[in-house]
Amino acid sequence: MAKKVIDSRGSACPGPITDLALAYRNASIGDEIELWSTDPGVKEDAKAWAQRTGNVIESITELPDKIVVLIKIVKK
Amino acid sequence: MAKRLVIVGAGDGGVMLANRLASKGFDITVIDKSNKHYFQPWLLHIAFNGAKEKSIEQTKLLPKNSRFMLDTVKLVDLENRKIVLSNSEMDYDYVVVDTGSFGDYSKIPGHMQLYQEFGDFHSTTEAAQRLWKKASTFAGGKAIIGSTYPIFKCPPSPLEAAFLFEELTRKRHVRSQTQITFITPFPRAYPAEPMNEIVEPIMKERGINIVTFFDVESIDPAKHTITSLEGDTLQYDFAALVPPHVGAGIVKDFCDENGFVKTDKETLQIGNFDDAYCIGDATNISTSKSGVTAHLESKIVAQRLLGIDARFDGRTNCPMEVGGHKATFVIGSYTQPVVKLKPSTFNYFLKMGMKYGAWQTLRTKMDFVMDWYFARTDPAKLNAKLNKQKSS
Repeated sequence: MAKKVIDSRGSACPGPITDLALAYRNASIGDEIELWSTDPGVKEDAKAWAQRTGNVIESITELPDKIVVLIKIVKK
Repeated sequence: MAKRLVIVGAGDGGVMLANRLASKGFDITVIDKSNKHYFQPWLLHIAFNGAKEKSIEQTKLLPKNSRFMLDTVKLVDLENRKIVLSNSEMDYDYVVVDTGSFGDYSKIPGHMQLYQEFGDFHSTTEAAQRLWKKASTFAGGKAIIGSTYPIFKCPPSPLEAAFLFEELTRKRHVRSQTQITFITPFPRAYPAEPMNEIVEPIMKERGINIVTFFDVESIDPAKHTITSLEGDTLQYDFAALVPPHVGAGIVKDFCDENGFVKTDKETLQIGNFDDAYCIGDATNISTSKSGVTAHLESKIVAQRLLGIDARFDGRTNCPMEVGGHKATFVIGSYTQPVVKLKPSTFNYFLKMGMKYGAWQTLRTKMDFVMDWYFARTDPAKLNAKLNKQKSS
């Protein structure tokens, strides 16, 4: 089990969801992914992604310089 | 003595950089394993319109006072300022890595066989011709088009392929017998939301089914099925898939798990080295892998090598055809969201114009036009204009 920080700040094209999809591919069950983004669309995208893939969003925190989405991989 | 600048890889960025610095007192060597420079966007038109290859010898693009070496670089050792070639080694004062990105057909089981059967529009002329043979003789059935993996060159290209294939089936009168499915690992057809709002309705209008969150895990070429990590399986009679892309992985200690070079997204320096830069598809920067990005990055690195503190702003400007002689551009930056730019015939001719202007652009002879264009299409200005229109 590992925690991986994915820094997608500044990425609007193709966007943070690209980095999340890639991290998911390389992750194992039990891992945590912390996704950093400056794109507000990441909140809805991460939720839709988690619902579709059956994984869990543990928290979404909005900080002054970034949005942090914490994801737990429970399904692959 | 002139500073020795070695450019590893003669992609668009490498060629442009050599031209930019040709008269600035550097001793320039450009190394590439091929002496042929392809106009890569044209692969799409070979695959879906039966167009002819567009290529040129590297030496015709590079400045006369630079040296071109036809060789394979095995390793770039930044600590020891050494480049390892197939049978020799060389030193440098400055190195710029422009080794590009490539399709890796070994990442997905069954993909290599599918590639051998159908080809694609992301690798070679032969593969694009193979796809054209399939596309131009397709008698109807299930067609699957899209990207297999989250990292690939030219983000608009899978959508362009779907639009051009759909148009082809109409021209060939097999549209009614054809079911077209677009697959993507992302939550929508185009990952950047504003552009998706433009292209998704066009796809729906043309009857192209969109299957999102479809990250290809395996392909069964015998059963003609594609299965996703998310657990879905689709049947195909025709498939045009973009392969997972990886980097060359030759920069010692500075490559990520996919072989891309760990590059500062603003200074384009590799690690903390002030004598080593990376441009184009080879970087691990979270921006589009495209010729435009390489073009703009070559300007930044040229300035930095001349002692100016230039910084890359993440600007993208990727053309996207939607069929019917119309195109839009995906324009954004690190700080500006992608502009919601509607397709137009004017943009289509701008895109097609690149076919004729490509070599002169690479020789940096078109900089005066391109600079004017980039300033005029600044994403901050375009977004402000669109917001003003929306509110009035």
